[in-house]
Order: sequence, then structure tokens, then C-alpha cells
Amino acid sequence: MSNPKIMFEDVLKVYGSLNVLEGLNFHVDENEVVAIIGPSGSGKTTVLRVLMTLEGIQEGIIFVDGGPLNLMRQNGQLVPASKSYIRGIRSKIGMVFQNFNLFPHMTALENCIEAPVQSKGMQKARATSEALELLNMVGLSDKRDHYPSQLSGGQQQRVAIARALAMRPEILLFDEPTSALDPEMVGEVLNVIRDLAKSGDYTILLVTHQMGFAREVADRVCFFDEGAIVEEGKPDDIFGNPQNERLKQFLSKILEAT
Amino acid sequence: MDWRWDFTFDVVIPRLWDAAGITVYATFVSFLLALVGGLILMLLKMSRNPVVSKVVTEFIEVIRATPLLVQIFFVFFLLPEAGIVLPPLTSGIIAIALYNSTLCAEVYRAGLQAVPRGQWEAATALNLSTFTAFRRIILPQSLPPIVPALGNYLIAIFKETPLLSFVAVGEIMHESKLIGSEYYRFTEAVTITGVFFLIMSLFSAQLVRIVEIRLKRSILK
Repeated sequence: MSNPKIMFEDVLKVYGSLNVLEGLNFHVDENEVVAIIGPSGSGKTTVLRVLMTLEGIQEGIIFVDGGPLNLMRQNGQLVPASKSYIRGIRSKIGMVFQNFNLFPHMTALENCIEAPVQSKGMQKARATSEALELLNMVGLSDKRDHYPSQLSGGQQQRVAIARALAMRPEILLFDEPTSALDPEMVGEVLNVIRDLAKSGDYTILLVTHQMGFAREVADRVCFFDEGAIVEEGKPDDIFGNPQNERLKQFLSKILEAT
Repeated sequence: MDWRWDFTFDVVIPRLWDAAGITVYATFVSFLLALVGGLILMLLKMSRNPVVSKVVTEFIEVIRATPLLVQIFFVFFLLPEAGIVLPPLTSGIIAIALYNSTLCAEVYRAGLQAVPRGQWEAATALNLSTFTAFRRIILPQSLPPIVPALGNYLIAIFKETPLLSFVAVGEIMHESKLIGSEYYRFTEAVTITGVFFLIMSLFSAQLVRIVEIRLKRSILK
């Protein structure tokens, strides 16, 4: 058995006096699709944010492909990672945000070629042809010259997915990708994510409130509460036969709401 | 009202014409210095070193809380006590530039903070370096609010330059006072000075508006 793709070891993350991640131990295998569910404030989004290096952690260590994320090895010791080291690890990870965060002053196409050209130094022509392929894949090749403000929420999120894929990441992080969308646009975004999950080419971490979708695409579901994983398992077990009391409560509340 | 056209054309306009040049010169040099100074002050204020940040914040507070005229006097009359003797025009430009750079620093800061944090995060997630993210993502989005505000300071600086007459800089206000006391006639010189400021202000305001519209068109299509 090879090393896990992502591994959290005793990770502590604190905001002020609030422990957001409470000595979290967590791992994800290569090309595994893991759905993270849980009440708000349970630390599930924080898992993605610290992985993406948008936030630091106070204690513990995170490994990506066996390499520490926030530290690096130097003369046999672990020291705080340099910028270039962090950028090296970060290039394996792509993230899709709840609020899309497209660049409003760039067209859909420009959004998708910005990072490959500026960060990887890819030729513009090549980046463009790759970006067009990705936009085609998410069903938006006809919107290539539209600005984000001219696109619906669902379309914007699909551009954001294409933009993340353009960097050719091995790991994809989805942070509540449909929470900011009108109900009728959720399906088009889920379809794209479903295809990516089914392709088996990516290690995927999906934070979501779409329980039906999590059950359908995930290999494993983790239920977070108060900064720790309270229960995890196969989707059918988590949703069909929950053991933990808090998970049962959470699921019944979600079912009531829908 | 007793208005003499021959006096206006023979004496007032030729003399004020040269003085107006000094006014325009002082305005633009002060403005350019304020643009750069504001950037430096903002960067120092946002410094991670808490001492630097605190000192600069207090410095900005002091400058903004005292009248510009006092600062002009300070530079011109008090710096020589410390062995720094500057000509009137230089003193005045330094004081005006310093005062306005504290205002520009605030404009820059507000403009940058108006860009949602998610933009920085998206840039980080796409592995753009901090510098590239700033140049390509953040800066273009912060310009639309910054540019019109800076334009207003250009107009404000222009209207502040008469203060230089207090340290005998030969700008237009100073010259019109001189004409007044030489000929015992203030009507023509002071009126034309006022009209000059009015025309220049209207002209500049229009210029700022055009730049603003073009910027909006080119950045946020």
C-alpha cells in the first residue's frame, strides 16, 4: 500500500480561543473522493483552507504526497518551509470556492489562462487551447469572451472549475461549491464535479451540504463536529446506518430541511 | 464697480500669466510627489514591523490633524533653525506634498481593501506569486475607486497653492496681492485670480471624469 495522498497528523488550528481543528488525524488516498459533511463551524472548510495554504496551523503536520506542507526537511530536520517549497507543493492542489472568486476584470478564457501563463510560464497559445478544451468540457466554450458579471452563478462556478483544472492539479478541493447558487443551477455544477469524481484522475475533497450528491459520488464520507472527525465510513453506512448520536441528529435536521 | 480694462490687459494679465505658471508647476510637482509619498506611507503603515507601522500611523495622524499653513511655516521658518534652509517654493512644495501624501496613503489603502479577500485567496490557490497577484489581480481592481479620489486631490492641491503666498512664493495669489498694493487696486487682479482658479478647477474636474469613465470601460467591462 502506497503512502496516502494527503495526511493530517495531530493538526491543531486555533482562532483566538476557539479550537477549529482539534488535533485532527485524517488521511486521503490517491484518487479517493472524500465528502466532508457537518454543521457549520465544525472545521470542515478549515481543512481545505489549511491544505490550500490559505491559513497556517498552530501544531501538527500535514503531508501531501509524503512531503510536509508547512515545513520542509533540511539537514535531517524539519524547518518552516520556504516560499518556493510551498509553491511547489501548492501546484499539486486546486481549489473551487463557495463564492467562485473569479477575476472580474478578465473574461472566462482569460481567467483560465492567467495562472498557467503567469505562474507556470506556459506559452499563451498553448494555455489558450488547453483552456478552451476545459471550457468545452464544462459546457461553456460559447462563453469564452464573457466577463464573470455576464454569467449566471452556475456558469461562473463552472468557469472556476475549469480555471482550477487549467493548473493540472492532482488534488481538487471543493468548498461548498453549490451553496451560493440558486437551486436551479446546482445541477449543472454537480454534473461537472460528478464527471471529475468518476474519472478517477483526481484526489477530491468535497465539503458539501448536498447529502444526496455526497452519497452518490464519494468513496468515503467524514462527519465533522467541533474540529474533529466524529464518524467516517462508506456513504451507505454513514447515511443508512449512522452510529454517532450527533451524526444522527445532524442528518435528521438536514432531512427535515429538504 | 470700477473696472479698468486697460489696466487689466496692460498690467494685470501679463504679470499674473507668469505667476500662474508657478501655480501650475507647484500643483503638479506637489501632486506627483504626493502620489509617490502616499504609496511609501501606505506600505510603511501596512508593514509587518509593529514599530514602523505605529510610528507611521501616528505621523500621518499628526500631519492630518494640523493645518497645512502651519506646516508650510514650519518647513520654511523652523527647519532653518535645524540648519536646513530651503527656498520658499521648495519649502511650500514639500509641505503640500507631505500633507497630501498622507491623504493619498489613505486612498490607496481604501482602494486595496475594497478588493475582496477572496481575490487574494483565488490567486494564492492558483499559485500566483504575491507580486504577480498584486500586479495582475488586485491592482487593476483597486484602480477604479483610487483614480477619481486622486483626481480630487489634484484639484484640492491646486486650490491649496495660494497658501504659498504666505512664504512669498511668486504664485498667482502672491502676485495679485503685489499688484494690489503697488497700484492700490485689487479689483482686477483678485477677480482674475479667482476666474483662473475657477476655469482650471472645472477643466481638471472634467479631465478626472473622462479618465474615470475610460478606466471603468477598460478595466471593468
